[in-house]
Amino acid sequence: MTLNRDTIVAIVLLLICGGLMAASFQIREPDYGQLSPAAWPRAIVVAMTLLSAIYLVQSLRAGPDQETDEGTKTWGEFFAHWQNVIYVFALFLGYLLIIPWLGMLIGGTLFVFLVLTALGEIRNTLLHLAIAVVSIGGIWLLFTHALGVLLPRGDLTGF
Amino acid sequence: MILDNLTDAVAQIATFHTIILMIIGTGAGLLAGSIPGFTIAMAVVLTLPFTFSMPPAQGLAMMIAVLVGGLSGGLMSGILTGIPGTPSSVATTFDGFPMARKGDPGFALGLGVWSSFCGGFMSAVMLVLFAPQLARIGLEFQPWDFFMLVIFALTVTASLSGENLVKGLIAGAVGLLARTVGEDEAVGVGRFDFGSDYLLSGFDFIAVLIGLFAFSQLLSDVRDRKAARTALTDQRKVEVRIEHRRAILALISRWQTVLRSALIGMFTGILPGAGGSIANILAYDQAKKASKDPDSFGKGNPDGIIAPETSNNAVEGGTLTPLMALGIPGDVTSAIILGALLMHDIVPGPTFIAEEPVLAYSIFVAFFAANFIMLGMQSAMLRVFVLVTKIRMYMLAAVILAFATIGVFALNNSVDDLWTLFWFGLLGFAMRQLGFPLAPMILGVVLGNVAELNLSRALAIDTDVTLFFTRPWAMFFTIVALFSAAFPLYQSQRDKGLRWTRFYAPAMLVAVAVPLSLMDGDFRKILAAISVATAVYLTWRVLNGKTA
Repeated sequence: MTLNRDTIVAIVLLLICGGLMAASFQIREPDYGQLSPAAWPRAIVVAMTLLSAIYLVQSLRAGPDQETDEGTKTWGEFFAHWQNVIYVFALFLGYLLIIPWLGMLIGGTLFVFLVLTALGEIRNTLLHLAIAVVSIGGIWLLFTHALGVLLPRGDLTGF
Repeated sequence: MILDNLTDAVAQIATFHTIILMIIGTGAGLLAGSIPGFTIAMAVVLTLPFTFSMPPAQGLAMMIAVLVGGLSGGLMSGILTGIPGTPSSVATTFDGFPMARKGDPGFALGLGVWSSFCGGFMSAVMLVLFAPQLARIGLEFQPWDFFMLVIFALTVTASLSGENLVKGLIAGAVGLLARTVGEDEAVGVGRFDFGSDYLLSGFDFIAVLIGLFAFSQLLSDVRDRKAARTALTDQRKVEVRIEHRRAILALISRWQTVLRSALIGMFTGILPGAGGSIANILAYDQAKKASKDPDSFGKGNPDGIIAPETSNNAVEGGTLTPLMALGIPGDVTSAIILGALLMHDIVPGPTFIAEEPVLAYSIFVAFFAANFIMLGMQSAMLRVFVLVTKIRMYMLAAVILAFATIGVFALNNSVDDLWTLFWFGLLGFAMRQLGFPLAPMILGVVLGNVAELNLSRALAIDTDVTLFFTRPWAMFFTIVALFSAAFPLYQSQRDKGLRWTRFYAPAMLVAVAVPLSLMDGDFRKILAAISVATAVYLTWRVLNGKTA
């Protein structure tokens, strides 16, 4: 039996609902207050479970997915299809992790430069570097000097 | 009293600093609206962090300027390149682009600009006149009614914003759930924190909005490697002069199209979830039906530009009306404006206009002023538009994503918010790819605590749950929610010609008449009687073989 994409999503949603329902019983019940703190989230989880069950039935009735031309059957094709998205997410994750060491100015500049390099053409590297320095430098100056916001400093760089 | 408030509001908005910020905002909105792939909501949500250090009136004025600019910006790319800048200007391209290609781009742009102005101006008038009246009605609402109003808003948004109602409702439920994470506002008990301090502090909802809308949109824009490296146009310069005089004369002679389209826009705006993307198509369709020469549509008919551009700008006055009067946003952009108000500890509701009159009137004044600024800036922005469209999408996306990151950090000076941006960006992107509409989720996030607070208040007053369905206003919202939930089914079955669908409208009119007849005041009883009489007439037509 071939499951379509919606069926898989519906099953994942039902599993999440099960997990959240179990977690809702871990919510502490205080002796005061009219409405239990668990009541509202539990009501939403119940509604979401019912909706996910309907979604599952709908998806099973719809039958298997239609073949698409996009070609995402092999890992190579999958990567090629989602390449840019994976690069951006991975670089953003890296950016968040290096902020404590490099700070927002250097980390942000590096992030923009690497995203531009990953998504663009290699022959534009100098342009990418200029865009990264000017854009992040400009916005950093705007926030720190004009708006008075203290942006994170890096432990290694000191600014 | 009104005059005093208006004078104070004008004094707040008409400062050099605020006007400059509004000009920058309108320009940014015009550009964002003109770039396909960049939505107005994204532009408004990205402006939000820049406004947090400003006084509320100034910050809101800038956001409204971005919004008005964004609504009008879509027409530039639609007319000059044939690619609509925003979903709100899709129908503009049907006749705008052919007219431009026939050698009349200046007239096409003139029609678009002046139609946008008329739509915006008329809806601003409606906002000023109608919002205080609606707020008066809102004062009658008790917690049961407010709770059902939120449920109605979520249901109708889910039914209008996607092809699959169930997916829309699931998205709304995910939004409500996201808002429950962290400490319960009433008693301070941790929920769904799984022992993590990050989860216990809850998600900052502006970071959630930026992640869901801006981050996920930028990822969608660069998903296609080839398209991400392509510029919108390679035009070196544009030699177009907007023909203002000719356009104004054309609009005067076609005043019926302007008025009809503005009404369509305003009404669509009041409905939660139905924004400019629906209004422009509806208005175009109605203009075509009303035209003596429908065959000329799609070939450069002026009405084909006037109708969508008037209606998409008229939408915003409609969406701001329930926000200002009841605290319920009509669409994603007004949900973001609600976020801006909450950021300044201002909670809109039926008493908002009465308690914060100067701020409320400042919003009205800013809405008017932004339309005039937009009118003046279109010609200047045309040149900048051509420059911006030469930039590759991946370059814009990378820089804007970095801007968003700094903006989100600035909200609370917290790196945790950046993680929220990341996780909700991931979630929003996955939802887009899987066909879940984001509008109900955003409404769920924004209205989640309003619903819980009113549920809690209602049960504290009376534990009888039947009051959620038997009080007149609560019953009214329940009925409208049920009929809006059934609307997608009605639409699909009507297309197949099923007989029961002909009774949908009469049944709704009779059902709505029940709570109306239970309300105080003669006017509502008269409305109920008119509603029943209309239902009887429609049923008579159906039974006699005429269309309902």
